[in-house]
Amino acid sequence: MMKKQLAMVIDSSSCIDCKACMTACKVENQVSAGNWRNWIKVQDADFAQSGRPEGADSMHFQPGNCMHCDNPTCVQACPTSATYKDEKDGTVKVNENLCIGCGSCIPACPYGARYRRPDKKIVDKCDFCEHRRQRGDLPACVTTCPTKARTFGDLNDPDSDVARLLKRNKTMRVINPESDTRPNIYYMSMTAPLNWPVKAEIPTPIQLWKFVNPLVWGFVGLNALGVLAMLGKQLLVKDEPPVSVHEEKKEDAHE
Amino acid sequence: MNSKMIKRHAKITIFMHWFNTFCWFFLLATGLGLIRNDDLQLTGGWWSNLMVSLFGSAETLLLVHEIVGLVWAGAFMVFLVFGFRKYVLPFLRQIFTYSPSRDLKWLIKKNIQMTLGYKWLKRLGFTPDIPEQGFYNVGQKLFAVVSVLGGIVIVVTGLIMFLSNILIDNTAIVQWAILIHFVTVGLVIGGLLIHIYMAAISPDERPAFFSMFTGTVPEDYAEHHHKLWYDEVKTAERKAHSA
Ligand code: HEM
Repeated sequence: MMKKQLAMVIDSSSCIDCKACMTACKVENQVSAGNWRNWIKVQDADFAQSGRPEGADSMHFQPGNCMHCDNPTCVQACPTSATYKDEKDGTVKVNENLCIGCGSCIPACPYGARYRRPDKKIVDKCDFCEHRRQRGDLPACVTTCPTKARTFGDLNDPDSDVARLLKRNKTMRVINPESDTRPNIYYMSMTAPLNWPVKAEIPTPIQLWKFVNPLVWGFVGLNALGVLAMLGKQLLVKDEPPVSVHEEKKEDAHE
Repeated sequence: MNSKMIKRHAKITIFMHWFNTFCWFFLLATGLGLIRNDDLQLTGGWWSNLMVSLFGSAETLLLVHEIVGLVWAGAFMVFLVFGFRKYVLPFLRQIFTYSPSRDLKWLIKKNIQMTLGYKWLKRLGFTPDIPEQGFYNVGQKLFAVVSVLGGIVIVVTGLIMFLSNILIDNTAIVQWAILIHFVTVGLVIGGLLIHIYMAAISPDERPAFFSMFTGTVPEDYAEHHHKLWYDEVKTAERKAHSA
């Protein structure tokens, strides 16, 4: 049996920007004021564009949330490993008790899916409604969507809705070409906008840490070599101070 | 040989030294266990796995690290306040007082003697006498400075991380604190290796090792290793006698 990989397939062309998913999520997960765990990106129609590329002459709505990536840059940025990729269901999680709220993961997400909770001062984001899944329900945004734009399930189970949709339809992922995190949200055929994910940025101190890590261990190692040299000499070399030292000392003492 | 004992360490200093040692080993073991990011592993993460399974979970590991760290810092704060004039100030005065030419000579010669021996000292063109030292030799003083200043930096950065999800809203400060905490521990550990060798393994310093339990050293050891201090003690004794 393959491991689970929970994922979403989103048909953005059926999204009507009603924001029911955003509201449902916000209530369900008690998301703090001013923050959102999910979103709907909007592409405005551009009638002035010459040649009218497909989709340019109509408005388009694109729902999204944490993409539970296969190459999660947020996990790479986390110094405490509070953020991790759960092997059991393939979701990217935040361990509340390990998160010290340093915020390193926030700019490391190309999708802006993470925020620091103002009350607990730790990081929060979409967890595919873990508490709902535990009692057998779908994520709140999926259940609530009136046009069924969002489909949720295990990618690695060939009988799941997401696997079937992926097999039958042309799908695409929205990525930043400079830092492809291999997201697990798939969009069916043409979706827009595509240019919004930012480049994943791991904060300077965390990058520096990775750089100085071998230097620090190298420094400790050099000192250990020094100790070994002294120990080797202690065990192997018979080393008496020349007699003259003692004699000088005695002369000093007579003064 | 004269084996009369003279006092070197007060009971409270001995206690603080071993309390500090215990905290350092504990905090080092648990702290290294907390580093679980894949890109920061040198050994495939077996140490953190060991620590996590020893303490049950990564959360408990973090919690005990924080508690012992706070107790360690708290105990030193108390010692700092109540022992400032009697113990802390004299100690700081000792470790921050240097005599450049004598101390530099000591560092060069002692390093050669400890690693290569007296024969090489001579071969490299040095005289075999090693400059006289005070209560602490330069090596001890330098390590003491590193561990005092390092300790302060480690406590401050540790507190910043601890308070991060309680008080702090500027996350950049927390990110830098993480890096500085790690690097500073590395610097102190480098020195600590030498310190432990000199204090516990090298036969030359055996009497100093015992003095960290009994508080006293034999006079001839003091005269041979800390001549300037020995002379001070003797002068003080003579004055006390004649008074
Ligand atoms: C197995 C561990 C350790 C042993 C066997 C040990 C042993 C000793 C001894 C014997 C002395 C007295 C030296 C003298 O009287 O001349 C001493 C002093 C001292 N120890 Fe340790 N120690 C240990 C760990 C530590 C640790 C972890 C620290 C701090 C990070 C530390 C910091 C100091 C300092 C600052 C002094 C006074 C100045 C100096 O000797 O450099 N020690 N130690």
